[in-house]
Amino acid sequence: MSWTRRYGALIRNAWLIDLQYRASIVLWMLWGVTEPTIALGIWWAIAGDGRIGGYARADFARYFFAVMLVNQLTIAWDSWYLDRWIREGELNFRLARPLHPAHEAVADNIAYKARTASVILVVWLIAAAAWPAVRLPLAPGRWAVTAVAVLLAAAMRFFISFTTGLLAFWTTRATAIMELHAGVSLFLAGRIAPLSLLPPAVAGVAGVLWFRYMLAFPVELLTGAVYGSDAVLRGLAGQIVWLGVWIAAYRVVWTRGIRKYGAVGG
Amino acid sequence: MNPMRMLAAFWRLNLAEELQYRANFVASVLGTVFYMATALLTLALFFRHTTALGGWDYWEIVVLLGVFNALTGVIEAVLRPGIGQLAGEVRSGELDLVLVKPVDPQAFVSFRRLDIWRFADVVLGLALAAYALHRLHRVPSLAQVATFGLTLAAAAVVVYAIWVALMSLAFWFVSVENIAVLFDAVYEGARYPVSAYPGALRFLFVYLIPIAWTTTIPASALTGRLRPGSALLAAVVAGVVFALARVLWRTALKRYTGASG
Repeated sequence: MSWTRRYGALIRNAWLIDLQYRASIVLWMLWGVTEPTIALGIWWAIAGDGRIGGYARADFARYFFAVMLVNQLTIAWDSWYLDRWIREGELNFRLARPLHPAHEAVADNIAYKARTASVILVVWLIAAAAWPAVRLPLAPGRWAVTAVAVLLAAAMRFFISFTTGLLAFWTTRATAIMELHAGVSLFLAGRIAPLSLLPPAVAGVAGVLWFRYMLAFPVELLTGAVYGSDAVLRGLAGQIVWLGVWIAAYRVVWTRGIRKYGAVGG
Repeated sequence: MNPMRMLAAFWRLNLAEELQYRANFVASVLGTVFYMATALLTLALFFRHTTALGGWDYWEIVVLLGVFNALTGVIEAVLRPGIGQLAGEVRSGELDLVLVKPVDPQAFVSFRRLDIWRFADVVLGLALAAYALHRLHRVPSLAQVATFGLTLAAAAVVVYAIWVALMSLAFWFVSVENIAVLFDAVYEGARYPVSAYPGALRFLFVYLIPIAWTTTIPASALTGRLRPGSALLAAVVAGVVFALARVLWRTALKRYTGASG
């Protein structure tokens, strides 16, 4: 069977499952929207009529609208699913299929993100119609580069989440590790503030590790805070390097984990 | 049968069960400490760029964060484990098992299960508030502590009423099993004083979903910002909200048809 047909079937399946839980998905989305909204509210109050770290009120508004959209497009819940699959044995029948379980997870992500991100996009468009501060200048070239960066970030966050979820082979606290990662990324990925507002040393750490490439880099591409072919290429290179590292980590953890998992049943 | 005796029996069983998993206590405390640390760091980040938020300085907001954590402890220890399951039970029909018991279903559903380890959050939160008061060189008077106690209790009642209202929605919209997420999302707004928010958000958190008051008012009582009349008003509001939630619960329960009907 061809990969297009396989993925077509998987995505349609995931889409239909999500369709049953429309209300739940709206609730989850709301959760992703409140955090940036509150952060925007506080920065809006702090900025007043001036600028902080180069950001005036309108810049904050654009930044956090971009955070909402990019975060929704790149977020991955897979560690929670994998934790359950492994603990409750739901991984077994997935292993018996002639298809690696990761493909089902990827299809889930595509269906979920297509649905939720398009809602956020519509909300943003409506907001932009009424509120000039959140309008982006028309720049198709920049949007195309952003799309590539978002794709890389989504792939990286998928592998981070999937690999962390696989730790459930060894520990019952895999989701706690993921929560820890989420807590750190609150600052280092730019969820609570643009990285330029962090203490320079902390922002430096975010750029050396993978955190900036998860969210802040594509967001700043979209808002135009990162520009010039040099900075853009360096950012994309950072994304590719860290994506490679996380794919390697996934391969190691998957191979060892499956060996251990088999040993329990056998 | 005395409903208190029945609940006490449930809690005893609950306690025996939880005591088997003592490692959860350590995990729960570590989780709370980490969560408090991120909240303090977030605040420190805001205060790198300002000296006051909505007229509150750093340590005053830390008092508020302490109150927020204490209230979170009440939610996690009492509300989420008990009433949080309601939506699932409405969907599956398991609520039958509650309705046949000879007690008031609302009281039973609300307090049947305690996650005792999360009560540590209440202690940690109050400790954080006390430490922040110490840094402010403020020793609240006995009257202020009493006002704090009253307003915190009122806040707990308001939060409880919001949970009852949200969970009652499950009787109409059966598919929303994780409706508690809605609460979590909005409750985030209570981490900062009401006055810190710009107009539109303040309208949302203060008047549409009156969640922000639950932390701002008790924290104001501790830092001496609260006028005595406001404490009484908070108590009255809590009473009214509780009564409304009770009415909504009764109306909702009439819609329940059970697993067999």
